[in-house]
Amino acid sequence: MSTSLADTGSGRALPRVSIVGLGNVLLGDDGFGPLVVEMFRSLYQCDASVEILDLGTPGLDLSPYLYDTDLLVIADAVRPQNEEPPGSLHVYCEDDLGSSQAQLRLTSHDPGVLESLAQLRLAGHAPSEVIVVGVIPESCDPGGGISVSVLKSCLIAVDTIVRLLTERAVQCSLRCTPTQKNLWWLSGSA
Amino acid sequence: MARISIDPVTRIEGHLRIDVEVDGGAVREAWASCTMWRGLETILRGRDAREGWVFAQRFCGVCTTVHAVASVRAVEDALQLEIPANAQFIRNLILIGHALHDHIVHFYHLSALDWVDITMIPKADPARAASLAEGFSQWPGNSRRELEAVQMKVNGLIGSGQLGIFSHGYWGHPAMRLSPEQNLILFAHYLQALEFQRKSCQVVGILGGKTPHIQNLAVGGVMNAINLNSIATFNMDRLGTLQSILQDLIPFVQQAYLADACMLSAAYPEWFHYGRGVTNYVSFPDLPTDAKATQFDLPGGVIMNGDLSSVKPIQNWRDRAVPSGVTEDVTHAWYQGKEPLPPWKGTTEPDYTDFHEDAKYTWVKAPRYNGHPMQVGPLANVLVGYGSGHALTRKWTDTAFTTISSMQGGTLTPEILQSTMGRYLARAIRSAMLSDLALQHWQLLTDNILKGDDTTYNPPNFPKHEILGMGMHEAPRGALSHWVVIEKGAFTNYQAVVPTTWNASPRDDKGIPGPYETSLISNPVVDATKPLEVLRTVHSFDPCMACACHTLDVSGREIARVKVL
Repeated sequence: MSTSLADTGSGRALPRVSIVGLGNVLLGDDGFGPLVVEMFRSLYQCDASVEILDLGTPGLDLSPYLYDTDLLVIADAVRPQNEEPPGSLHVYCEDDLGSSQAQLRLTSHDPGVLESLAQLRLAGHAPSEVIVVGVIPESCDPGGGISVSVLKSCLIAVDTIVRLLTERAVQCSLRCTPTQKNLWWLSGSA
Repeated sequence: MARISIDPVTRIEGHLRIDVEVDGGAVREAWASCTMWRGLETILRGRDAREGWVFAQRFCGVCTTVHAVASVRAVEDALQLEIPANAQFIRNLILIGHALHDHIVHFYHLSALDWVDITMIPKADPARAASLAEGFSQWPGNSRRELEAVQMKVNGLIGSGQLGIFSHGYWGHPAMRLSPEQNLILFAHYLQALEFQRKSCQVVGILGGKTPHIQNLAVGGVMNAINLNSIATFNMDRLGTLQSILQDLIPFVQQAYLADACMLSAAYPEWFHYGRGVTNYVSFPDLPTDAKATQFDLPGGVIMNGDLSSVKPIQNWRDRAVPSGVTEDVTHAWYQGKEPLPPWKGTTEPDYTDFHEDAKYTWVKAPRYNGHPMQVGPLANVLVGYGSGHALTRKWTDTAFTTISSMQGGTLTPEILQSTMGRYLARAIRSAMLSDLALQHWQLLTDNILKGDDTTYNPPNFPKHEILGMGMHEAPRGALSHWVVIEKGAFTNYQAVVPTTWNASPRDDKGIPGPYETSLISNPVVDATKPLEVLRTVHSFDPCMACACHTLDVSGREIARVKVL
């Protein structure tokens, strides 16, 4: 269960890949990112060079987790541009971020993504490629749980991540038996 | 008279709005408002008390571990449950790793650019900068080659005309006064800090299983399995890795960060005279050195009216003299309620009215100690330590003062720390202290394990009747307390009185303003459209509004909005 932050000085033969879920699990559909990465972890087996991280809403504290990665895939809720229905999925590349095409919603973890990437780029430790799998949320109210429309998109988001990895020759295979999903935040209160 | 409204002020989580009235180049009145709410405490009601920490560490995406630890301490306090010595040391090391991370990020990435003008860097002479830096610090990252490389990067950035995340800075502002060489040194460390930010996360990751959300806590201790003969558990190998990471990290804190804070202090001495604010301070004892938590490596106490000679100590976490004086007032906050209430009886019922400075204007409650506003944070921590003769606090404070004196002459006293620059310097002093303590607590843990003690957990037993508990932690932003009421093993009330609630507090029922508001009075403002000086003082508190009030914004992409009304 340790992150590669706990590994030091290991060799770097394989490309380092981070699959990152962003968002606050206590705020309804804002928990899309953490839910998607947990589903991915449960369903797929990857090389040791692939890290699967639920990072919550770290703001600028995102930087250490992106440091020197080759491929970064972020799952997150995004702000709708037009009148789009909740649950709509979009895939953005780094150039889209901060442009008119995509605006990561200005929640707690934004501007963290753009700022962290920019800092790391200047320091020479930025990810080589950044992809965002974004969903349009229905409601981000406290304690609301995930809405049905966003929930329906989660498996598609997982498939999208698998496709993105496969296209880049990163190994990931479906597990014969899914591992236990740890979705503690979706259990009701006593 | 000009009225300025800045919204939001933080570069990180959540939304702080500051309104100031400026007359004759200085602030005359100030209001601090948090513009978002998310009542997370309500989510905890009815939950199993053993699992509260898992939810509490999601209060804020930045200060995850601090809420986790305050939560288990609150439940253990209610149960009067002692935890094993190993568990204390492992928690302490996690808290130190987190705090160092937080302080490094605050200084370099969240506030340095209030003082550093990156557009001056192309004018710097890297050779002169290297010899300047080597004159006051042993830090190996100050070589001419290193500084030349950073200058090239900045030249490229500025030459591209696309400043990106740096395009919001107040470049060329008359209040920016560092030499090109000083700007270069600080910005080089801004970039180097990213590596050390990562190392401090590794400390938390090794011990906590994961970061930023640790997995190893439990009410009753920690779940780390210790077995020196097993490779799958916490063993000498892990301890060795931990030690070597700490040995890499500590020089950056003590030689680069502290020296940079001293350089800033020497370059901007007038900022020791602004931003004094509320001079009542509270700091909680932390980093216990025994299982029963009777001895602490960071002393706690209260200072009233800035009088460092009469620190009233908080002996330990059971010492209720101070907590019993804590109430929260909602006269000016968007909550229902009349009288100030102690946290165990606190409620969180919203009553939103829009911004009315004479009535309700914020989502932050007004915590008071015996009716007084209190300032919390590294400054409170350092002043309490200094005032009570704590050797480690004095060692690093005196080191900083000697360094500053060697740069600008004159002598400094702890009194001047009660200021905007004092808060920056105190945070660096505290970081240097925590670096020493990291190795000490690593040694305590190692010695205890080698002695043959591998216990990490004492199971809790919950009674059927109602019990009350309070968990203290001296977090990076200051005194944090979680207050719990438990019945049959589940929470019936949960209130978190967080550091930013103390500091960003609005006026209370008597009209007395909180620390941010008070600190801004007489703050200079040269140009009302570019209130850089206001940001300096507000950022000196390291505001993080997420857990103070809570967030959800749909308003737009601006990093900050300044309106001159």
